[in-house]
Formats: sequence, structure tokens, C-alpha cells
Amino acid sequence: VTRCRAAQLLRVVVITGIGLWSLAPIGLGVATSLSTQADVQAVPARWLPRHAMLDAYRSLLGGTGDFHAGGTVSESGAFAHAMWNSVSVTLMSTLAILCVAISAGYAFARLRFPGRGALFWAIVATTVVPVFTVVIALFELMADAHLIDRTLGLVLVFVSTTTPLAMWLVSNHVSELPTEPEEAALIDGCTRWQAFWHVVLPQMRSGIAALSAIVMLSVWGEFLIPLLLTSTSASKPVTVLIPEYVGKYTTNYPLLAAAGVLALLPPAVIALVLNRHIRGMLSGSS
Amino acid sequence: MLMVAPAVIITAALVIYPLAKGFQTSLESADAAVGGQPRFVGLGNYGDVLRSSTARDAIVHTVIYVTLAVTLELTLGLAVAVTLHRAFRGRGIVLAILILPWALPSVVSGVLWRRVFDPDSGLLNSVLQQLHIVGHPQVWLASRGWALVFIALVHVWGVLPLVSLILIAGLQSISEEVYSASAVDGATPLRQFRHITLPLLRPSIAVALTVGTVWAIKIFDEIYVLNGTALNTRSILMEVYNTTFVNADFAHGTALAFLLTAVTALFAGVYAVAFGRSTT
Repeated sequence: VTRCRAAQLLRVVVITGIGLWSLAPIGLGVATSLSTQADVQAVPARWLPRHAMLDAYRSLLGGTGDFHAGGTVSESGAFAHAMWNSVSVTLMSTLAILCVAISAGYAFARLRFPGRGALFWAIVATTVVPVFTVVIALFELMADAHLIDRTLGLVLVFVSTTTPLAMWLVSNHVSELPTEPEEAALIDGCTRWQAFWHVVLPQMRSGIAALSAIVMLSVWGEFLIPLLLTSTSASKPVTVLIPEYVGKYTTNYPLLAAAGVLALLPPAVIALVLNRHIRGMLSGSS
Repeated sequence: MLMVAPAVIITAALVIYPLAKGFQTSLESADAAVGGQPRFVGLGNYGDVLRSSTARDAIVHTVIYVTLAVTLELTLGLAVAVTLHRAFRGRGIVLAILILPWALPSVVSGVLWRRVFDPDSGLLNSVLQQLHIVGHPQVWLASRGWALVFIALVHVWGVLPLVSLILIAGLQSISEEVYSASAVDGATPLRQFRHITLPLLRPSIAVALTVGTVWAIKIFDEIYVLNGTALNTRSILMEVYNTTFVNADFAHGTALAFLLTAVTALFAGVYAVAFGRSTT
């Protein structure tokens, strides 16, 4: 009985630890974003602001004109524009990746054609290629197509870098689905395409929800590729803009934290709403 | 065949073709950067890179990041998985909170943690000074040892959820009967963990180990936000970034990037083998 109680206690401790570890940095970010520079620079450090202020958000989203962020000046409206870039690039890329990855993943899992295995592994293997090995040639290709600093260029590159992983997840998912419903549809005279569209896709609903979430989170968080392929606010996503708020000598922490909090809201909402589906697919048991 | 065509075309045009061009760049002299005609130098750039002291430091830093990150992820991940793999009230909420850090952009993780390590208004310094552990504020990210530890910690914050989920799935695949049978034979929980859980969990541990390694080996975003391109914390990818884009030395930058690809592919190969074995 004592051992049982000790185990129970241990579990409570570990669970509290997990909660603190996951949430404390986010809570600290929210608290910092509501602070003033005076709060942040106080000695000894003040963890919570004396009066919660929305000033940092106000300056970030414009309306007050230029804002001096520890030596760097942020244009008004730049952040809102970067958020818009991130949202549009994420949605366009996710839609394109889903179309390409679902059809290819399904075909690799179910159809038999020459070179299937080799082609599949060749595509999946490209997930380990770091972007620097391809970026110079990619830059030339994009320049020829006039796609540098354009959101469409980013979308194309994200589709090429994220499709392999997405396709792999889809083919794993499809190969775990029962084959009988499709076979029945094929025997009843459906074409392969009709069977895919009317029978397989509805079965994959949970998998597709998980996949869209995983793809959206990964595209939203991309940093290195847009850092290299964007140069102005025309296409800069929020992840590339945020490090620019880090000052060389002093940093305006409330402003930086406000930017971080706004950038974490969309992925946090996706992760919380779809977390059951995401867990299933990530742990390979969906 | 039509269904795989888009995936094949996009991968060929935007990954395989640039990869071949990149490999060609890595075998040519760096003259193109200064307007000259590149000539073929074979593996010369690879040799140069391995002899450069900043690249060697970057390799050492990356090995330290990977070792710290993977060790922490596996030990903490196992503790999390053992606690959370069985059903209990509120488990769904705990799991939802657990995966939150993984969902956030790594740039944002860097931003959230940055204030903790700041030398002037940092919370770590403040706490340590109040406890009289340090007398003066420490510039944590400028020291070599601590900076690597803290950056690895921020990286672990984002990757631990994924490792934990893999290990939880592994634990759930172990049948309860094995435990009840051994309990009848008088095995203590600790012995059960040592002699049943760990061996049966080996495939999942292999997957978690390699996922952790592949993620840590290309660490970049967290370093960029926390410490920029500072020499004391540069990872291999940061060194590649600096060589290629700050110094405009495409040839050497690409050569180092290909070395990193080779090492990553090696680990991913281990992953594929381990995963293949666990599913059959």
C-alpha cells in the first residue's frame, strides 16, 4: 500500500513537472509582453509586470508609427504584414502539399508499378538533405523564374521540402487501412480514381486532419529557407522578422515577447484543437 | 502513375537537380564568388573545410549539442512515457500540454527563453544572485560551456514532446500480461523496468534516438535567436550559413553542407533499419 501511494505521489510530481516545463516559458513570454521596459530592467528581476500594459502589442501592430527596439527601428505595419505573409504561405503550401502527398502516398502504398520502391525511397531520402546543399542552385532557379522575394517562390520550395515527409506519413497511414472496401468498389465497377475519391479519402479523414496540422505547423515554423529566399516585407514571414527585433546591445523584451506570443498563437491553437489526431500520427499508431 | 507524377517532378526539379548542382559547386574552386572562372578542384574544398579551425570548433559544438540533447531527451522522455502511458483522469489534457512546445516555431522557443539568459535583465542571473550563488551577473551565452548547455536545453524543450510520444506508443505496444505474469513470479517494479520494459522498448528507443539525433545535428534557429553567429556557440549549420552567405564562399560552404548531409544520412539510415525491424 505504501509503495502504491509513493508511486501515486511520484506521478503527481512528474505531471506537475511536465506542466511547468511546457507552460512556464510560454507564461513568461506572455508576462514579458505585458510588461514595460522598466519592469523588465528592474533589479532584482520582476517576473510579473507591475501593471499589465498592451503597449508592446500596440507598437508592434503599428498605429503609433516608428518604434525604437533597442537600436533597431521597426516600421509600423511590418509585423502585421509578416503575419499575413506567414498565414498565406502556410495555407497555400499546406493545400498544395496535401494534394501532392496524398495522391503520391496512396499510389505508393496501393498500386504496383515498376520502380515503385526505388522511387519511393529516393523521394523520402531527400528529407535529410539540408537546405544549404541545394540553396545556391535553388536561388538561381528562382531568380530565372523571377520568384525571389515572392510568396509563390516560398510556397514552391516548401512543397518540395515538405512533400517527402508528408508522403511518407500518408503511405504509412494508407497501408494500415483495410483494403476490402476499395476492392469491393473496384469489383463493383468503380475506376481506381473513383474508388480513391469516394472510398479511401473518407476513410482517411482523421489521418488527413493530422497531416494538415503537422504540415501547417512545420511550414509556419520554417526559418532558414525564408531567411535565405526573402529580403523585404513583400514576402518575409513572421519567423524571419522576429529575430530582427533582437537588438545588438539591448533588447526591447516586451516588444520581442509580444511578437513571439502573436507568432505562437496560430500553432498553439492548431496543436490544442487537433492534438488527438496529431498524437496518433506522430507516434505511428493512427 | 499519374498520381505520383507531381511528387516526382517537384522533387526532381527542386531537390535532386539543385542537389547535383550543389555537389558540382562543392567540387569547384571558390573563384566564382570574386567573379573568376571556377575550376575543378576535386575534394579540395572538403579538405580545406576539415582543416579550418572555425569549422572544427563548429563540429565539436555540434557533437556536444547532439550528445546533450539526445541524453536529456531519452532520460526525460522515458520518465514522461512511464508516467503517462497508462490511462488516468485528465491524461488527455496533460498530453495536450506536453506537445505544445513541439508545435511552436523554434524561433519562438528562442524568443521565449532569451530573457532568462540575458546578462542585464536576465531571470537566471537574478535568481542566482538572490540565492548568493553568483556574485556578479554572468554573461551566460558568451561563456563556452554554459552557452552550449543552455542552447541544448532550449532545443530539448521543443523536441522532448516528440521523443516522449514515440516512447509512449512503444510502451503501449507492450502487453499487460507480461507484467502481470512477472509480478506473479515476484518481480519488483524496478526489475520489471530493467528486464521487461527496456528490452521490449528497444525499437522505439532506436527511433527516438535517431529522431533526436537528426533534429539536433541540424540545430540552427535557436542559436540564431539566442546568440547569433557568435563563434562560441556556432553549430555546423551555422558555420555553413556564415561561410556561404556572410562570406559568400559558396564552394566551401556547400562542401561542409554535404559533409553534414552524409552524417545525417548515416543516422537516418540507422533509423530506417531500426524502424523497419520494429514494424516487421
